[in-house]
Amino acid sequence: MTNIRVLRDIAARKGVKAHEVVRRAYLACARNQTLEPQIRYQAQLQLNNFGRYSRPTTVKNRCTISGRGRGIIGEFGLSRYSFRMKALAGELPGVFKASW
Amino acid sequence: MASLKTKLQQLTKLQCALFETSYNPTSARTGAKYLRARLRGPAMVRYYPQRIPIQLVRAVAWDMNIVDSREEQRVDDVVDLKKRGKGAPKKKKEKAEEKGKKGGGKKK
Repeated sequence: MTNIRVLRDIAARKGVKAHEVVRRAYLACARNQTLEPQIRYQAQLQLNNFGRYSRPTTVKNRCTISGRGRGIIGEFGLSRYSFRMKALAGELPGVFKASW
Repeated sequence: MASLKTKLQQLTKLQCALFETSYNPTSARTGAKYLRARLRGPAMVRYYPQRIPIQLVRAVAWDMNIVDSREEQRVDDVVDLKKRGKGAPKKKKEKAEEKGKKGGGKKK
């Protein structure tokens, strides 16, 4: 199941990839203390001009099955419920229900 | 005679020249860490597994009669709703009068 939030996240990921190199260059300029303040300021302004979907912080790991944004188990990229369903179905190698 | 501090500084300078590292005695930020860090974009794009839309599969393998059960269910539901008179309203033929701004503006 994909929902609009997943599609938005995919768009953000694509944007980050597309703008990453240029953004890094501006970031390095803006943070470089050996450069002229004027240049650093200009670089910072350029950084602000990038769209929303170019910042890596916009990207959020969502459940790859249900699209849920909370309760994600990072190692599998699944929400806690999808994880449970998959694990109980035996589709996650090495994962089994604890019992003692 | 030079003090110990200047001697040590000279030593570091020489070391930097020898091993081709940048000499930065004041520890000024040069922004190098942003250039040195690996790119995160390619891995980010690969997070969601690529899904092939069933319409595409049907178009390619048209002779295999693959059933799109979800789409069929949807069409069935629409027919069912229409039977009960609960379907979507018909579109207006005349253009509706403009009422200020439509929607919440463009989203980027």
